Amino acid sequence: MRMSPPFSSHTLSNGLKIVVEHMPGVNTAAAGFLARTGARDEVPSLAGVSHFLEHMCFKGTPNRTARQINLDFDNLGGHPNAFTSQDRTLYHAVTRASDVDKQIDILADMMRSTLVPEEFETEKQTVLNEIAMSHDHLEYVAFDLVLDKVFAGHSLRWPVLGYEDAIAAMSRDQMNDYFQQHYAPDNMILLCAGNVDPQQVFTTAGRCCGQWEPSGLRRKRRPPTIRTGIAAKQVDRFNQQVIALCFAGPPAVDTMHDTAEATAIILGGDNSRLFWNVVQTGLSSRAGAWRLEYEDCAMLILFGITEPQNAEKLTDALRAEAARISHEPVADHEIQRVKNKQRTGLAVEGESPPHRLNQITDDVDYRGRPRTVEQRVAQVEAISARTISECLERYPIDGDGYLISVGPRDWPASS
Amino acid sequence: MIESTTHRRLENGIELACATLPHRRAVAIEFRMLAGTVDDPADRLGLARVVEETVAKGTAKRDARAVSDAFDAIGASHSSWTERECLRFTSLTLPEYVDRSIELHAEFLRTATFPQQFVDVAVELGRHELQALDDDPQALADKLVGRQAYGPILGRHPLGEFETLDRITRDDVVTFWRSTFETGRMQVATAGAIEADAAADSLQRHFDGFGSPDSCGRDIRPIEFNAARTHYPKDTQQVQIALGLRGLPKGHPEYFVQRVVLAILSGGMSSRLFTEVREKQGLVYWVSAWGEFPRGAGMLFVGASSRIEHCERAYATIFRELDRLTEDITQEELDRAITQIEVSMVIRGDRTGARCGELADDLFHYGQPVPVEEKLARVRAVTLDDIKRYQSEHPWRPRSIVTLGPKEIEAQSTEC
Repeated sequence: MRMSPPFSSHTLSNGLKIVVEHMPGVNTAAAGFLARTGARDEVPSLAGVSHFLEHMCFKGTPNRTARQINLDFDNLGGHPNAFTSQDRTLYHAVTRASDVDKQIDILADMMRSTLVPEEFETEKQTVLNEIAMSHDHLEYVAFDLVLDKVFAGHSLRWPVLGYEDAIAAMSRDQMNDYFQQHYAPDNMILLCAGNVDPQQVFTTAGRCCGQWEPSGLRRKRRPPTIRTGIAAKQVDRFNQQVIALCFAGPPAVDTMHDTAEATAIILGGDNSRLFWNVVQTGLSSRAGAWRLEYEDCAMLILFGITEPQNAEKLTDALRAEAARISHEPVADHEIQRVKNKQRTGLAVEGESPPHRLNQITDDVDYRGRPRTVEQRVAQVEAISARTISECLERYPIDGDGYLISVGPRDWPASS
Repeated sequence: MIESTTHRRLENGIELACATLPHRRAVAIEFRMLAGTVDDPADRLGLARVVEETVAKGTAKRDARAVSDAFDAIGASHSSWTERECLRFTSLTLPEYVDRSIELHAEFLRTATFPQQFVDVAVELGRHELQALDDDPQALADKLVGRQAYGPILGRHPLGEFETLDRITRDDVVTFWRSTFETGRMQVATAGAIEADAAADSLQRHFDGFGSPDSCGRDIRPIEFNAARTHYPKDTQQVQIALGLRGLPKGHPEYFVQRVVLAILSGGMSSRLFTEVREKQGLVYWVSAWGEFPRGAGMLFVGASSRIEHCERAYATIFRELDRLTEDITQEELDRAITQIEVSMVIRGDRTGARCGELADDLFHYGQPVPVEEKLARVRAVTLDDIKRYQSEHPWRPRSIVTLGPKEIEAQSTEC
């Protein structure tokens, strides 16, 4: 693929795509392997396998034990980590720029994990601890209910961590089948951002990954129906109530994406309508709006946390702001504020390899090619009251949406 | 990539440190007002945070929204925090807006009007957030162990307590502000595409005549370490484990030895706690050790959360690792810890905001910027003998222990 500076791209004969952003002003480099698979690519009986597998990839390879992986990263002073979402799994690390080859070597080795049998049951306990930890947090419980209801009937509905019983029953063989299918080079991308020589990265990738066999996997993703309705989950042990209103929005690849992001910021970012009209009235210590987006679907979530007796008031306030932005034109100064802050945010992003790695991961995975900071600024500059109005006409938020309530109060009544 | 760092005290009393990084696209500024939760009256705990939450909610020239709009007009990303001994106000802007950002900070820090409605809201939201702590067991355990380990002054939580929050009035807020907001208590750090003279000129102009220029707010409050073991019953799926240990302050000659020790214990994926508690046994998802440093003091913490059936093993393993640190330590392990600290510094150096924060910390703890190379040299000089001496001379006993959850741990190693 031809790319203009600062990006370079190369594809190995086995299908592994490599994208590099050269950042001459920094001392570090971030690299990551993107496996284009996540919770939505699982079957119900294996809910959570993507995330459990992410853990197992740190647990041993043909060349390294789990201990050796950890030692090798720490010998570089590297900061490795990984995350799994509904639609992707990213393994990444940051090191001195001069150590990028070694960093890629370890990460590539992890992508050929042997799923060491002796480690499997121990790591299962770690994952079960992570699930238990999420059950102790009000906001995680609420988010799980959002997914479960809004994406009902679709594989996006289950939590990335999976369910305790599914994890407890999962076998290494089941995980291995999934691993062999989804961690093939034609379903993966190597990304790198930092003060590195792209050709050197391509050479290293060829040495470390050139022998990987493609699987010919064709992802069978289908867009979900974004449901509407009402759901409450009463959990006595929590003190506060989370309210979330969920509406369909333009997917990540839609041309309205940046406009939808700006709309969410105007509604629920810093110095936003929800901040002044909900938080600063004392109704909620935290209220806002954010987009949960994938390549083929997205939703805008308006949320707040309040005392249980104020659940109705908070819901009314969120709905009032959704209606107001739908029916009254957004003022130019509100849009200009978003643009101004985006410009600063992008300037800062431009000096941080880990931030750039995250952004090019998003761009390459969803849009097929990375965008420069300048290109993104230009897209933000194109946002106007008209584009926001068009976006809200196509993806209205003044209807019912899905109302989610989690906390000690059974409201709205479960019926 | 070449940094030039300066430090000066301005005529108006402000202490300024500036790291000029000419090729950066942004400028970070941090204002520290040297007053925090330690300055709360005992019956008004939470006051400093209410001041921080309301100080930008109206000025002599602008109402609350207009203040926020003015920052947004220059695309500034600004935040604030309440800490034990300071209130922090940070801003990240494009270079052309630095003077305006300083001017806006001066406007609200100097001419805050504290409208009654926003004081009432800040108190009300403080109550909400105290309740929300109960829905976040890890944050709750942090609060409880901090209160227990530090004692009554340094152990205060920024949110205060329900009964003390209720007593806070607008008069209290104004009194706190009038008595503590002045240039003699201000430390300012800035990093990025900015020249020190320009920063100094802007700060001198915008803060001229703001209270007393005499240096103050720099007292050291000793930790009243409280060795105890307390369990708090709570209906959760995991048990939270939190330990407070006496540590050394940043200015102590052995501080960098301690920093390396912390890296050995909890610095990376091969560190002692991660390896023994998580990797080998799967007893936790997270386990960590970290340091907190009030001025002239140090406290180390260890935290973890574990399911009920594993919590006693997790607890016992953590204690075992604390006790056996020097038993089988190797040069390779020491070298890894040093490398990790080095690379962390390099990574932070690439980020303008992080570099500014480090500079502000230097002013706070050392009274001057300390070159990164000097810190690195101190870290690189640490030997195995230093570590053994550290543990011998500064044993992590007694301990302050808090557990939180449905089960009280009955591990054998319960000694404080």
